[in-house]
Amino acid sequence: MAVNQPGSRTALLSPAARTGARLVRSFAERETKALYKRNLLGWLWSLLKPLTTVAVYSLVFGVIYRAAPPATANGQAEVFALYLFSGLVVWNAFSTIVNGSMRWMDGVSELRKKIYFPTETALVGGAVATLLQSSLEALVLVLIMTAMANVSWTLVFLPVAMLLAAMFALGLGFAAAVVNARYRDIQHLTTIVLSIGFFTVPIVYTPDIVPERAYGLPMARLVELNPLNSVIAVARDAVYFLEVPDAADLATAAAWSLSVFALGLAFFRRRSMAISEEP
Amino acid sequence: MSGPSREPEPAVEVAEVSKRFRLELNRPTSVKEAVIRFGRRDVRHLWALRDVSLAIEQGSFFGLIGHNGSGKSTLLRLMAGIHRPTSGRIAARGRLSALLELGSGFHPELTGRENVFLNGAMLGLGRRQMAAAMDEIIDFSGVGDQIDAPVKIYSSGMYMRLGFSVAVNVEPEILLVDEVIAVGDEEFQQRCLHHMESLRAGGTTIVLVSHDTALVRRLCDRVGWLDAGRLRSVGDPDEVVDAYLVAVADRDGESGAAGR
Repeated sequence: MAVNQPGSRTALLSPAARTGARLVRSFAERETKALYKRNLLGWLWSLLKPLTTVAVYSLVFGVIYRAAPPATANGQAEVFALYLFSGLVVWNAFSTIVNGSMRWMDGVSELRKKIYFPTETALVGGAVATLLQSSLEALVLVLIMTAMANVSWTLVFLPVAMLLAAMFALGLGFAAAVVNARYRDIQHLTTIVLSIGFFTVPIVYTPDIVPERAYGLPMARLVELNPLNSVIAVARDAVYFLEVPDAADLATAAAWSLSVFALGLAFFRRRSMAISEEP
Repeated sequence: MSGPSREPEPAVEVAEVSKRFRLELNRPTSVKEAVIRFGRRDVRHLWALRDVSLAIEQGSFFGLIGHNGSGKSTLLRLMAGIHRPTSGRIAARGRLSALLELGSGFHPELTGRENVFLNGAMLGLGRRQMAAAMDEIIDFSGVGDQIDAPVKIYSSGMYMRLGFSVAVNVEPEILLVDEVIAVGDEEFQQRCLHHMESLRAGGTTIVLVSHDTALVRRLCDRVGWLDAGRLRSVGDPDEVVDAYLVAVADRDGESGAAGR
């Protein structure tokens, strides 16, 4: 059979990996198009939402409550909005991927009943599209920081933080997607858990204002133990404090993200076959 | 890819395959329901296939016949890798393209062209390879300019034609076809049949599920007859089809046999 030989560019990968990569690309393109085809402002439109969030929270916490942001590296960019934005960029990627996973799964579940393909590629594709979108947000943040002369090579750790957040989110998303395929109320539950989750991570507040104990709970310790806290801390060090992230934070973030991703994927692979067999 | 005749390994090998489906009546669709009905659930198991073994030789045209619900489509899905056997082993050697039902494997939100690429990716073909085949695919399907419209607005005929066109134009080594040629107009049916014959001439192994016994007799080299999930017989098309028709006649009146 005369089958064209694959180009040398991708020949390094195994056939299965190549197929997977192509599918991820297809699904990522589809997600990106679906997001921006519908409106004229396109990509700009999508920036409006995070910027509005930053504006609203800055107004409430920065202006009304007069929360003081910690000092930046150059001592000139102490704007609460920027402190907030540097955490929000990571959180947005995280929550969009967790929520999106269920939608991406539903989008291909009919398809998967008719043709075999590794279903996880649809979720990874969605996550890639989300990361592209988040990079745009991150770019805006970096541009503002540049305008305020608060930049350094430590920026390279920002993509690392975003990637770790994405893997963490995908791990959770894999699990949520297969459970949601059977029990439809999981998506509502996830929305609730995520909106609570947002306030358990120091994004709109600084870690040092968390009381040691409250309601008999060791609050500060709990916030510190939250695995997402480490990821956000890495991002903030990179873009706000311009410090090399704490090795402990980096290690914690990486360990959590990689293990949650691996566990989620394993669970997904075990269960997704059964879903495609349902009538 | 191994040489066509040097290795007489079968293209598709089915070894003692059984498939059990889990059916649940009124399955809870939310956690809330599941908690409320905890312990009171009506789960049944259905054996769609029992101990089926067969080997389909490379380059042959294999037909699968049987009543509705006899397990033909399940067997095809197992070959396509969509389902996994409950027990036994199934192996398909070579690039496999499947056309299992109307417009198999299309994403409704994507355009025809995007779906062609997506299908290609699922079959292990890259963009360049699909781009090269694109004109032929569009041509064969006859969808014309609509190729750039989302497939959800396609008529069922266009859906099916594009599906078939992709499945046959990707140079599959194994082609699985379930009933689809029964739909569509006469002219397209004829083109499909011609195309399948030329694929077979080129060495493609074809597995066809059909209720059309005349078609099966005409096209197939070998035929398998599935009855209630078991392989009743396999062999020469005329013999198997005759035996099947006798059984259908015997059963007649019982269930208005195989209407389509």
